[in-house]
Amino acid sequence: MSCEVLVLYFAKSAELADVRSEHISVAQRTTSEQLWEEIVSRHPRLAALRNHVLLAVRQEYIAIGDQLLLLQPGDEVAIIPPISGG
Amino acid sequence: MFAAVDTKHQDLLIQNLENILNKIKQNKTPLINESFQQFLNTKNGYLVSSLVSEFLEFFSLGFTLAVFQPGTGTQVHGPDRGNLAQDLGIVENENTRDGPLLLEVMKRCQNSNSREDGSSDSSLPVLHNLVTELPLLEAKTSLSNEAILRYSRQLVLPELGVKGQLNLSKSSVLIVGCGGLGCPLAQYLAAAGIGRLGLLDYDVVEINNLHRQVLHGENRQGIPKSLSAATALKQLNSGVEYICYNLILTPKIALELIQQYDIIADCSDNVPTRYLVNDACVLTGKPLVSASALRMEGQLTVYNYHGSPCYRCLFPVPPPAETVTNCSDGGVLGVVPGIMGCLQALEVLKIASGLGTSFGQFMLMFDALEGRFRNIRLRPKNQNCAVCGANPTIRVLQDYEAFCGSSASDKCRTLHLLSKEERISAQEYKKILDEQVPHLLVDVRPPVEVDICHLPHSIYITLDKLERKNLDCLNHLNRKLLEGKQITDEEMSFPVYVICKLGNDSQKAVKILQELSGKELGVLLAKDITGGLMAWSNKVDPTFPQY
Ligand SMILES: [Zn+2]
Repeated sequence: MSCEVLVLYFAKSAELADVRSEHISVAQRTTSEQLWEEIVSRHPRLAALRNHVLLAVRQEYIAIGDQLLLLQPGDEVAIIPPISGG
Repeated sequence: MFAAVDTKHQDLLIQNLENILNKIKQNKTPLINESFQQFLNTKNGYLVSSLVSEFLEFFSLGFTLAVFQPGTGTQVHGPDRGNLAQDLGIVENENTRDGPLLLEVMKRCQNSNSREDGSSDSSLPVLHNLVTELPLLEAKTSLSNEAILRYSRQLVLPELGVKGQLNLSKSSVLIVGCGGLGCPLAQYLAAAGIGRLGLLDYDVVEINNLHRQVLHGENRQGIPKSLSAATALKQLNSGVEYICYNLILTPKIALELIQQYDIIADCSDNVPTRYLVNDACVLTGKPLVSASALRMEGQLTVYNYHGSPCYRCLFPVPPPAETVTNCSDGGVLGVVPGIMGCLQALEVLKIASGLGTSFGQFMLMFDALEGRFRNIRLRPKNQNCAVCGANPTIRVLQDYEAFCGSSASDKCRTLHLLSKEERISAQEYKKILDEQVPHLLVDVRPPVEVDICHLPHSIYITLDKLERKNLDCLNHLNRKLLEGKQITDEEMSFPVYVICKLGNDSQKAVKILQELSGKELGVLLAKDITGGLMAWSNKVDPTFPQY
């Protein structure tokens, strides 16, 4: 079963993906690693940011790894690199 | 006319000196003046005599110092003016340089006199070039009538009240960075009556700061930001103690400095400083109210407070330096750090007054374009964190510039990717233009920068598109190369000059063009223009704008 989620790209990730938000179709049951890989397969330049971003699902931090996710249609996935400007 | 007057004055001077000489000859008192010598051997005596000699030298009367010689046994030689000003805590600007330093000393006396009269305090705050031990902040037990009146609108808030206000007055906050975040933050903390504000910045005020760093002003360009901020803040609330640090936060001083404050606010503009401040706060057990802003986005989190995670718990590994964008490259709309700095002030005030924070395990994200705030729930403290985990490996501060592979400033680094032969200067390029040597000039900056200024004969291909080998761009470039080769009608490598703002991106572009030459592109000889358009403005065409 797959479902459509909304991916939001912030800061450097928006620049590298060349998009600020998009709907993508992903497996409803997936690991956070698989979700990240799915996003990177669409935007290979994001690979450089792995280990340097927060991944948030439904506005909640998710470690990129084997954590199991049960996604719902319309869920918000956010890619958040830290910004350091002041 | 002048010569005649001068001669007359010279005669008068010689006559006077001869009179003095006669008096000295008849003088019975010993020339060795012991009390004078003793005075000169004290620190203040040395400063006074230095001020006098600087005064005389300022008006080209240094030769008259000869009369001091017998009295001192040595020649009176003050330190140079720069050192003397520093010793006296005088920060030089356009106005001070118009007169001797003695004038500045006198102005200070006048200022302190007028303060005693009860009029406004316009004296300059003291600037610290090193970290010193501060006396403990006095804990007040009650509010003065003056304080009650001043803070009445917040005192009547049940959430704050007298107790909260007293808590503010005994709190000290260190602000790391007096820029776009630090200015509004400091402003609201001062206004609210925080007890002591440490203001740290290594930079001076520049005109391109003023769109976002709203405490500074046109008349304080060139002045250390910490001092400029304190000058403005003193006018807002003279009851707050301001400590200005005109220095770079380094691992050497960070612990000594940070342990003297109750709350630390990270308003810095670079990655190494963010890791340094984080680690120092963990090691000293201080809450870290951290905000950042870039372009149209802002982030805010309170780290290391009542068991909340630290910056390293979330970002254990710094991002590769080439993926970090700074404000001078990426731009920032001034009000965005303004909003983030205000939110930062709110959290500092909540912690200082005793209300606690809302962002201990949340990151507030501000999307200025969409006008949306999001609260991202964060992970708890990472038990494996290198600095705050169960078995920390970081027990002393590190070399953060090496750790992050970048410098602790937001100034652009100068890349060295190309050899001398692969680059030309702006002046050399001017010559190529003047001699009408056939060539292509490729400007690799983003369109938004091209809109600000550009050289009229350039073609525009962004570095980004070049890196992606964008087909349209390569075709465009090939067409231009063919056109060029038709003119020269030669089989030679056609010269292509690459330009950007400062001469970093242009080097990257030359590397790519070299790879593509003779393959995807016709044969070409690519070089870049050292220092880019800013060098063009500095060295060739002063009417070309700087940004
Ligand atoms: Zn940690």
